[in-house]
Amino acid sequence: MDSKWAEENLQTIRTLMERSAVYRRALAPIMLCAGTVGIIAAAAGLVFQLNSIHAFCELWLGAAALAITGAFLIARRQALKHQECFWTPPTRRVAQALAPALTGGASMSVLYLTGTNDGTFAALLACLWILFYGCAIHAAGFFMARGIKLFAWIMIAGGSGCFVFLVLNQGNWNLSGHWLMGVFFGGFHLAYGGYLYLTEKGIPST
Amino acid sequence: MNPEAFLQLDRVIHEKGRLAIMSMLAATPELSFTELRDALSMTDGNLTTHIRALQHEGYIAVAKSFHQKRPLTKCSLTPSGRKAFTQYIDVLEKIVRQNKPQ
Repeated sequence: MDSKWAEENLQTIRTLMERSAVYRRALAPIMLCAGTVGIIAAAAGLVFQLNSIHAFCELWLGAAALAITGAFLIARRQALKHQECFWTPPTRRVAQALAPALTGGASMSVLYLTGTNDGTFAALLACLWILFYGCAIHAAGFFMARGIKLFAWIMIAGGSGCFVFLVLNQGNWNLSGHWLMGVFFGGFHLAYGGYLYLTEKGIPST
Repeated sequence: MNPEAFLQLDRVIHEKGRLAIMSMLAATPELSFTELRDALSMTDGNLTTHIRALQHEGYIAVAKSFHQKRPLTKCSLTPSGRKAFTQYIDVLEKIVRQNKPQ
């Protein structure tokens, strides 16, 4: 036997402990918060007819900032409640996993904001955001609650499907960006949050 | 190399599956049977056997209850289990230190 084996064992222990720590973080309130923000933003966009690409971007980037702030505060509250440090190595890993795809999505918004102001492109941007968000969640899924990867795949498949549909039906885009965002960011977050809320506290076992 | 350190390793914890269970439980107050099974990709039978072995040693506590009319098994580390796990890690670290080039 050599010490490499001992080092590998220690690394495995560290990884399992980190995974376990993140695994227990309650995602239900975070998902419900994000879903509520998504529904309110979609309703605001539709009611106030925020259809230009600039208004669309401003509304949804604002909603994203609000949802991220809410998620941050909820996670911090949980950490304080359990007398844990907030910025733990597992939390850092989740943030690092989320960052590349979210940066990609955000850079799409910059391209749109500096380019056309044609509102019909809002739905296309919504599809790209959903796709990038799905990729981000999938990357972080390894450290998070069960079912999150399926949730991510629904986002990826939905975003890609709607994007292909819009591109194939050029000039005949009846899909509203706000509706898409409302369904994917609002509805799906609420549905997943509800599922977690009902199952997170006690999972039936054998 | 000094083989004494290897002899100090707790044989109950040293097994791969049991070590994984102990590691998961060391970082959290409690985990359900299903959470452990899903996180470690173990079969029900395999996990049950390991849990029994750890419970027999007094390293983990198992609480059975019902949730929505379905059985719910929760596992947690006992104080002696935590102590044994800490000692196990100390021995591993000792082995690594002993073999590090000066």
